[in-house]
Amino acid sequence: MNDKNEKNISRKDALKKIGNYGKYAALTALGTYMILHPKKAQASSPGAPGDGF
Amino acid sequence: MSLMIVKKMDKKSAVWFERSNQYLMLDPFVASAVERIYNQENNEDLALELMNKHHVPREKAMDFISDLKEKLVFPNTAPKRVVQSDLKKHEIPDKFAFTTYYQIHSKVFKVECTTEFEYSLTHPKIAHLEVSNECDFDHTATIFSNGKTTLLYLENELTGSWSREEIHYFEGKFLMKIIEYIYEKPEDNWMGVFHASALSYKKDTILFLGGSGSGKSTSLALLQAHGFHCVADDFVPIDNDQLVHSFPAGISIKENSLETLLPYYPTLRSAAEYHYERLNKTVRYIPPKNTDYNTRYQCKALIFIKYDKHIDFEIKPISNMDAFEYLVPDSWISQNANNVAVFLEWFSLLPCYQLNYSNNEKMIAKVGRLFKNGL
Repeated sequence: MNDKNEKNISRKDALKKIGNYGKYAALTALGTYMILHPKKAQASSPGAPGDGF
Repeated sequence: MSLMIVKKMDKKSAVWFERSNQYLMLDPFVASAVERIYNQENNEDLALELMNKHHVPREKAMDFISDLKEKLVFPNTAPKRVVQSDLKKHEIPDKFAFTTYYQIHSKVFKVECTTEFEYSLTHPKIAHLEVSNECDFDHTATIFSNGKTTLLYLENELTGSWSREEIHYFEGKFLMKIIEYIYEKPEDNWMGVFHASALSYKKDTILFLGGSGSGKSTSLALLQAHGFHCVADDFVPIDNDQLVHSFPAGISIKENSLETLLPYYPTLRSAAEYHYERLNKTVRYIPPKNTDYNTRYQCKALIFIKYDKHIDFEIKPISNMDAFEYLVPDSWISQNANNVAVFLEWFSLLPCYQLNYSNNEKMIAKVGRLFKNGL
C-alpha cells in the first residue's frame, strides 16, 4: 500500500488465471483471481517493527 | 472433506480453504460456482447459467467448470497427507549464560538462554519488563541451540525448533506463548496476530499498518506522547471475540527517528541500543505507557500509514479488498475454521484508510478526530 512498485510486484505475484478462453474474454476475466497466503505461524520482525521514518 | 468459507467483500468474494489455508479473491459468481462444485451440485445448471449470463457456448462453459474443479476446488480440498512431527527431545542444558525474569501483566516469566544469540532474540523487546531475579515465577521458557537449530522449551516441554532462516517464527512463537499465558487463552482462542501498531483511546483502538520504512512505529510513539495509548506494537493479538489485547513489548525506534522523538522521550538518548547485524540496523526501544492490560479494545479502523516528506497530509478511504491484499500475507490468521469465519466477518466491516503525511500536528489531530467522530 505504501509504494506503487511494491504494490504492483505483490499484485503480479498474487494474480492468477485459471485459463485462457480466447475470444470469450468474459470467461478469462471471470477466471482471473488473486491468491493470498497468510503467514504459516506467528512471526516477529526483529528490530524492524514498522521501522522509522 | 475439509471446509471452505465464502465471504463477500466489496466487489469480490473471499474464499478460504481449510486444507490449504489459502484465501482466494474471486468474482462473486465464480465463488458461488466453486462452492457449488465443492458441494457436488449438478454441473448442468451451472453451465446453463454461464451460457446465458456470459453468452458462451456450452463447450466453453463446461471447460470453465472443469478448470475451476481442477485448479481451484480439487487442490484446495483433496485430503492432505498427514506429516509426522519430527520434534525430537533434547537434553536440556543445566547451565545458562542468561537467566532473566520478566513481569508481563500479572505473570512472571523466567527465561533461560544458553547464548547471547538467543538472548538477543528474546530480551530487547521486553527488557523494560525485567524484574529482580529473586521473585517467584509462573512460567519458564528455556532456549538453547542444537547446531544451527534453536529450540524452545516451555515448562520443560519442547514447543518447537527453528532453523536460522526461520528464526522470526521462533520469535513469533515465543511472543505468542507469552500472550497465551498472560491471558490464559490457548492458541485456538485467537483470531490472529497482526503485524501492526495498535493505538487506543478509551475503549477503541485503531490498527496502523505499513511496510518497512513507513513510519508506523514512529507515528505510534508520537501519538503516545500526545495522550493516546499504545496497546501493542508489531505484534497485535486479537481474540475470537474480535477484541484487541494489549501486549507491552517495546516500540522499536530506528536511529533516523531519534531527532523527531527526543523532545518527547528524552531518555531515548541514553537508552540501550541494539544492533541487528542481519538487518543492518540499530534500534532503541520505548516502553509503551499503557499499563491497563485488563481493557479489551474494539478495533474501530485500519489505517495504512506512510510518512512521506513530499506530502503534507492526506487521508482517504480504501476498499476492504485492497486492504485485505496487504493484511493477509503479513498476518498470522488462525486456521481454525470458526476463527476464520470470525476474521472474515470482522474484516469485511472494518473501515480502511490510507494516510500519508509529513505534518505531525495534522496527523495527530486527525487521528484524534477519527477516534471521536470517524472520518
